[in-house]
Amino acid sequence: MSVLASYYDGRTSRRHQVTLEVVAGVAQVRGEIERDCPIGQLRVSERFARAARKVSFPDGAYLEIIDGAAFGELLQETGHQDSLVVRLQQSWRHALAACAILVAVVVLSYVYLLPLAAQGIAATLPVAVDRQIGQGTLEFLDQHVLAPSQLDARRTQAITARFQALTAPLPDAPDYQIVFRKSRIGPNAFALPSGQIVVTDEIVRLLDDDDALMGVLAHELGHVHRRHLMRRLIQSSAIAATATVLFGDVSAVLANIPTVLLDLKYSRDIEREADDYAIAMFKANGLPRQKLALVFEKLESAGKDGPVSPYLSSHPANDERIAHILGAR
Amino acid sequence: MNEHSDLPSQATPPFSTVLNTAAPVKPEAFSFSGRGGEYFRIWIVNLLLSIVTLGIYSAWAKVRRLRYFYDNTSVAGGSFDYHGNPIAILKGRIIAVVLLAVYNLAGAGGPLLGLAAALLLVLAGPWLLWRSLQFKLYNTSYRGIRFGFRGSLGGAARNFLMWPMLASISLGLLAPLAYQRFKRYQHSEARFGATHFSFHGSVGAFYKTFLIGLGLWLGGIIVIFLGFGGITLIQMVQVGATAVLSLVLMVLALYAWTFLAMPLWMTLLQNLVWNNTRLGEHRFQSNMRWGRTAFIVFTNVLGVVFTLGLFTPYAQIRMMRYRIESLTLLPASSLDDFVASSEAHGSATGEGLGDLLDFDLSM
Repeated sequence: MSVLASYYDGRTSRRHQVTLEVVAGVAQVRGEIERDCPIGQLRVSERFARAARKVSFPDGAYLEIIDGAAFGELLQETGHQDSLVVRLQQSWRHALAACAILVAVVVLSYVYLLPLAAQGIAATLPVAVDRQIGQGTLEFLDQHVLAPSQLDARRTQAITARFQALTAPLPDAPDYQIVFRKSRIGPNAFALPSGQIVVTDEIVRLLDDDDALMGVLAHELGHVHRRHLMRRLIQSSAIAATATVLFGDVSAVLANIPTVLLDLKYSRDIEREADDYAIAMFKANGLPRQKLALVFEKLESAGKDGPVSPYLSSHPANDERIAHILGAR
Repeated sequence: MNEHSDLPSQATPPFSTVLNTAAPVKPEAFSFSGRGGEYFRIWIVNLLLSIVTLGIYSAWAKVRRLRYFYDNTSVAGGSFDYHGNPIAILKGRIIAVVLLAVYNLAGAGGPLLGLAAALLLVLAGPWLLWRSLQFKLYNTSYRGIRFGFRGSLGGAARNFLMWPMLASISLGLLAPLAYQRFKRYQHSEARFGATHFSFHGSVGAFYKTFLIGLGLWLGGIIVIFLGFGGITLIQMVQVGATAVLSLVLMVLALYAWTFLAMPLWMTLLQNLVWNNTRLGEHRFQSNMRWGRTAFIVFTNVLGVVFTLGLFTPYAQIRMMRYRIESLTLLPASSLDDFVASSEAHGSATGEGLGDLLDFDLSM
């Protein structure tokens, strides 16, 4: 069987009309150019539905096939087989299977693999890295949202001393520092990766109960101890990278939407973990768990009068949390 | 297309008529035979393998994707070919990941170190773009002849760093000039075998295009702003819910208009750049139309959003097909006479590194 083709020698752009035939494992080019070459030395381009295929010689010359159907038969006769990837790409059944597997891999990674991997990576990074990242955050907040605490210094010292006397539920508790601030953001408490736990005057006054305050501090210490900020940083970077691979070609804005939405689940998971840490800490120190539940009850009732406390809005549903705290064994 | 050349006489240089007697030449339209359905299958398999191999396969995926685009692009009876080596690309990507990690760590190691790293990255930019251009062109061939790029590193520094900086210092007044220099460098330093491309777009033409594009966009923005503005301003004083609503509507209208103006920009620039590019004495013609471009861009975004990204490969093929098929080669003589260049090309690692940030400057 002879196949019609154009021959280019790789040195000039001249097109030569030729035919290609394979005889006993040797490709024979005939016509305006005559050339023989063992088929083992030739490279055949991948099969696409409408593109002309190319057969390349070791020296850079190549044939551009004109008669695709005849060439297909010739390839079959010589025993040429498409690579596995090409066969996958050419079949709708396999492509759809690939699509299903892709979705499964992405969902599994999101739900199980990524949180596990982030935990592992965070564990290998020294705590000093967290501290480095958090450096300067408190100064920035002090300039913009926070003001010096107006609480009695004896009161704050007593709270700090009491919390420091409690034992952490896990070994190797990190260094931390409790700082009190007056804020424009209402009753709130949060931990910084630098190990600073910020407590606002407003939450101290609202709770008006040192046991409950121990619960808030235990929850925040949980964030520091379990390296939550580092883990979320790793997780959101991974999500952003994946979203860019999937959607980045089309729109940068579009690529950022999944990052924001998908991060919500991780945010809730982390709060749940910090709650568990606080529960364990209360248990280890013989404090009543009802006091921990009191934190959320008080915050919720305070929220009913005014705007919802930011402390609650970023956290899981309150009733669910209270039930979890009271029900945990 | 009829047998007689329907080009205006100025489209061919006078001396080419001598050659024309030897080989009758007619305009050769570029064609693109890629289709969304087929590319979807390639895309999804590439994506799966890339994610499963934690990105290692992405180098091979890139080669497969570009081969698909190049093999399906043809003009004058011949198709293009891509020769990039996946190993070289993989090496480049590994180096890129390491460099980015170092850059981020430097940022965490203090503001001074971070600033030094950022400065280094800005200075490395022209070099990266330069290598990327060389890599891309050297690995592209047509009729067995490779393309190439001979521009110097100094030229890259001027056109990719100095002019953009001057443009931003001048608050955009020099932006058309900077863009003209950028395109002139990119196109006039490119070659096909031993034959050089040349670029003839004048600075004035770039200013005119920028003014038309920017003027229409700004004009639309002002109309929308005034249309909503009068109402909003009154309502802002009362601070009612309706003020928020019309504010949202205005932002949406501005966004939609920007979305429609962007294709206009793309259309004007592609036409300007390619109508002023020559390969030896051969010319190009690009006749993209705004309406068609806007329709494709708009429907592409809708498709991608409503299929959660699955329409992406179809969207890419639609846009690419329109852009490529808007191009016509106007040969001045036979296309059989190009010869390969004897110039040496860069090392494989250099090529791979050039692929680092994967800039797309092709059109």
